[in-house]
Amino acid sequence: MSETITETETATESTTDSAQTTSGESQERLREEWTHYRFDGPPKLSVEDLNVWYGDDHALKDVSMDIPEKSVTALIGPSGCGKSTFLRCLNRMNDRINIANIEGSVELDGSEIYDPNTNLVELRKRVGMVFQAPNPFPKSIRDNISYGPRKHGDIETGLLARLLGRDDKDEEQEIVERSLKQAALWEEVSDRLDDNALGLSGGQQQRLCIARCLAVDPEVILMDEPASALDPIATSKIEDLIEELAEDYTVVVVTHNMQQAARISDQTAVFLTGGELVEYDDTDKIFENPESQRVEDYITGKFG
Amino acid sequence: MSEGYATEETFTTADADAYDRWLDTTIAVGILGFVLAMAAVGQVVTLTASGDALNGVFLTLSAVVTGAVGLTAGLAALNVVAVESRRVRGVGLGLLAATLLLTAVVYATGVQLVTLFGLVLLVDSVSLVGAGIASWTGSVDTQPNASAGILTGSVFALVGFGIGAAVGGAFLDGPLYLVAGLLGAALFGVGTIVPREDIGSTLPTAAVTAVFAAVILTGAIGPDWQWLPEGLSGGFSGVIVVPLFVLFGSLFTSWSAAKCRARFGARGRQYGAFLVIYLNAVMMVAVMVSIVFFVVSRGVTYAFHGVQIGALSLLVLLAPLLVLAINRARNPSGTSEWHSAARQSFRIAPVAAIGSLAVVLVGLIVTGETLDYAFEYTVLGDGREEVPIDTVAAITPETAVGAWVLAFPTLILAVYFFRNASSLRGVGTRSPTLERVQQAVPLVGTGLALATIAYVLVGTGFPVLVTVGTGLVVAGAAAAAGATLFALSALTSGPEGLLDNAQYVPVGLAGGVTLLAVTAFLEPTVTVSPGVGPIDIVPAVALLGVLVGAVVAVAAAVARNRGGDDRVFVSQALLGLSAVCGFLTILGLHAAFTGAPVDLGVATVANVGSFDWPFVMQSYVPLGIEPGGIYPAVIGTVWLVVGASTFAIPLGVGAAVFLTEYIEQGSFTAVVETATNALWSTPSVVFGLFGAALLIPRLGDQRSLLAGMLVLGFMLLPLVLITSREAIKSVPDEYRDASAALGVSRWETIRSVVLPAAMPGVITGVILGVGRIAGETAPLILVLGSTLNTPNAADVLGNFQLLSSAPFVFNGAVMESTAALPTGIWATIAAGVSGSQSRGWGTALVLLLVVLMLYSIGIVSRTYFRRKLNYE
Ligand SMILES: Nc1ncnc2c1ncn2[C@@H]1O[C@H](COP(=O)(O)OP(=O)(O)O)[C@@H](O)[C@H]1O
Ligand SMILES: [Mg+2]
Repeated sequence: MSETITETETATESTTDSAQTTSGESQERLREEWTHYRFDGPPKLSVEDLNVWYGDDHALKDVSMDIPEKSVTALIGPSGCGKSTFLRCLNRMNDRINIANIEGSVELDGSEIYDPNTNLVELRKRVGMVFQAPNPFPKSIRDNISYGPRKHGDIETGLLARLLGRDDKDEEQEIVERSLKQAALWEEVSDRLDDNALGLSGGQQQRLCIARCLAVDPEVILMDEPASALDPIATSKIEDLIEELAEDYTVVVVTHNMQQAARISDQTAVFLTGGELVEYDDTDKIFENPESQRVEDYITGKFG
Repeated sequence: MSEGYATEETFTTADADAYDRWLDTTIAVGILGFVLAMAAVGQVVTLTASGDALNGVFLTLSAVVTGAVGLTAGLAALNVVAVESRRVRGVGLGLLAATLLLTAVVYATGVQLVTLFGLVLLVDSVSLVGAGIASWTGSVDTQPNASAGILTGSVFALVGFGIGAAVGGAFLDGPLYLVAGLLGAALFGVGTIVPREDIGSTLPTAAVTAVFAAVILTGAIGPDWQWLPEGLSGGFSGVIVVPLFVLFGSLFTSWSAAKCRARFGARGRQYGAFLVIYLNAVMMVAVMVSIVFFVVSRGVTYAFHGVQIGALSLLVLLAPLLVLAINRARNPSGTSEWHSAARQSFRIAPVAAIGSLAVVLVGLIVTGETLDYAFEYTVLGDGREEVPIDTVAAITPETAVGAWVLAFPTLILAVYFFRNASSLRGVGTRSPTLERVQQAVPLVGTGLALATIAYVLVGTGFPVLVTVGTGLVVAGAAAAAGATLFALSALTSGPEGLLDNAQYVPVGLAGGVTLLAVTAFLEPTVTVSPGVGPIDIVPAVALLGVLVGAVVAVAAAVARNRGGDDRVFVSQALLGLSAVCGFLTILGLHAAFTGAPVDLGVATVANVGSFDWPFVMQSYVPLGIEPGGIYPAVIGTVWLVVGASTFAIPLGVGAAVFLTEYIEQGSFTAVVETATNALWSTPSVVFGLFGAALLIPRLGDQRSLLAGMLVLGFMLLPLVLITSREAIKSVPDEYRDASAALGVSRWETIRSVVLPAAMPGVITGVILGVGRIAGETAPLILVLGSTLNTPNAADVLGNFQLLSSAPFVFNGAVMESTAALPTGIWATIAAGVSGSQSRGWGTALVLLLVVLMLYSIGIVSRTYFRRKLNYE
């Protein structure tokens, strides 16, 4: 696990890459303007000058954005523009990629997550993640959900716990039921909690993954194209679920489907090729009247 | 024969249909020839057999084929199994027709098998010529290629060279035979490649087959034919060469006929290749079967002399099978269509079979008869002459059940029933009594367990300790009885009680079984078994538990049949059964630990008694008439495998985890990988030398069990490492990502997600490796010694000593040389040290059984883990 964390208050100027932009500095200043989304209250997540390299490949360039609490933030853009990379920075999943090199700052509720003293376990409990392809464990539905709480010692089950009188079967059942209800899956699986999760349909598996993530009580939920592997009906269920979740959680969702972003999100960030954040604003504004010509081209389908 | 290899179409003309049937039959004759030739190679039947001997063989063959084809056809007609392929049907019917025809010929003419072989090849040859010409003249519609191809051509050129050279060698002098060979090669090669495919792949085959047939029929090479090359002490005889001709001839004809049958072209090639592969697979299975057959047929009489088992013990051993069969029979039987009746009867058949066996056994007990089978085996006498000995294998009407014979199956069943019962948490009301029992059981159990540990450490030096211990045992048994009766109290208010107080059943029964089990362990450590008058207290409580469990199970089953909450009642019935089995296990354990038989009136649970297998259970007796057994060798092999596994499996799996999960793939892992692969392919005798030169001088300077364990462990290690690595690598990264995103540490992820998912693969490796080391001989001769005359088995468990200084634990038994099965075989058969040949075969049979047992343990556990992973 290698990571490079530097305080990069001065990095903005040095990494300006004028060859990329057509009209140099003014364009760059505009971009900063367009990505500065204003909202009331403190940001849940605050990203400052984030840069990511995979080896020599500069995948994310100077991204700064503030994400408000209890809302849905959509990240859209052509594939390969660094959306997943950005998302993975928010719970430090990029630490698991050996060649990844991360610079910049990400603050969760005002505290730096790239601080060397950050407790990774605590961070990932607070910032949960749902992946593109449903990936339940090859265990029972119940065990999938109770896996996180068990590993964090929130509940104890099993023979030893039973012998020691520390068996939390009832608590487990409570967590399982709550999480599945939140993920709108309870009705469908309540009578087969001890069946293997791999027997569920793709859409059910993805909702199970969401429930698994909810079981550890996160504050932020990151979703990387959660519906791209699913059929339309399952997709719409996931979309409804995301909107519901936003009442209690801060949801950041990557999608390459613009209609989806328009339907479910409160604000949208557009990334374009080269790993830059081009525009970030209210979803309506982005889709109806974007500032940047490139974003308009992308949204109307002329580009990428 | 799978349809994936060649699709079929329906031909409408009568010509085409006759052609198809004709070729299906030719293929069938080829298969038949192949099988018969294999039988001749394996000397199941001799070439010169004729008359009655051959009649018998063909009668059996007819019966087998009629049975197989008939059953399949019948099932197909009943719509139980689908046989849609016209080719499969054709070949099946062809087999039937050909077998019956050959049988008729054998009966009518009384020919020798050799002649029959010649005739079969001749018929094959003629029929192929016919098919080739029919295609060439356009009588049937085929799609042949322009040529049979270079590859086929080269194969036939090679065959042609052989034939030419052989013929040339017979008639010409000196190196001229080479010229004849080259001529033959050219003839066959050109004959195959130049003409159109239908001619090129039938006529050369027909010619080869015809040559074989001619050689056999003219008697040029017959059963008496001998070829004695210079420099060899033995030679080659027609007994082997003729069957080989038939084997190859049949292979060639089946291939050719398959091509014809599929109308040549790409499809023809496919079908031809498929048939050849199929026959090769059959040959592989046949080799496997004949190895087992050889070992069994030569060793079985010696290995099973004087085997005896009590009818009741056998009944107990049948119980798990019965449960398995019942479970199978319970599967839903589908629709009510009439043929589903047929399916249902197949599902019920195993239950019925076990049922009838059980009735026979009960009959033995009731009538007091003995079911026995008398046979004879031979040993070597003092003057190394063969001495025949008469013996019997018998099922006796004895009603004693061995303690372990009772404990093992019932333990398995108890766990099985318990696992299948669903949780009753949250069902019914929670009374204060329930709460109290739930709290008391773990407390009492832990207390008794602690007392057991204390007694193990302290011993019973003072009389007062015995008194206290007796009190503890009585208290434990009483507590167990209390918990068990508590479960029964759910029934006091009738079936409603089972619902209202649903949780009484699991809590009471599980509590009772647990407490009594702990008490049963405490008993031998205190060295008491308290009782009232002649009745011991622990078995009495166990019997009470059996009764209570049975009552609960029956009550729940009755309640379920009256209707009501299915899940609760089924679960309670299963828990009742589980308790019955659990208490029976404790009964067995009690008898085994205390050594005192438990008299149950109609039956006894005894420590020794109703099962006797002299060959495996007796120790070695040197060169006597009464042959004794190989008990020390069996125990030696078991300890070798156990020792090697306990050392190699954790190390191998651990290294695999480390190399795969913690270290980046790079030059270090590459080096380790190469080293492991090299270690795996290192000859075993080198391992043995290494052990002898390096380990033995450092381990007390004598051949020992420990050295054997270590060397075998070193041999097992690389395979476990390689297969575990592959298994761990094949666990999808998505699981690791998902776990990491939940904030779970790497080690926890490996432990709870990666390893369980990799388990089936790991176990496969262990199965393969253990199979290899169990039969390893060469290294054991070097490091363990090949002592045959060890009268005593290695007593590893009884020889642990605690020392007050380093190394603190010492085990005298592992430091000594002992016997093992493979070295025993080597010593008896190869070195002729002692006993008779059949003793060696008997040992080999036992070795096969031991390996088989290890295999089945491995396969059962692998299935268990697979089931857990897949949704079953
Ligand atoms: N694990 C990785 N190793 C090397 N390069 C990567 C890795 N993951 C992503 N990249 C590169 O980073 C860029 C951004 O990828 P990604 O964040 O997956 O884009 P998106 O999710 O928008 O499609 C791509 O050029 C991709 O090739
Ligand atoms: Mg992506």
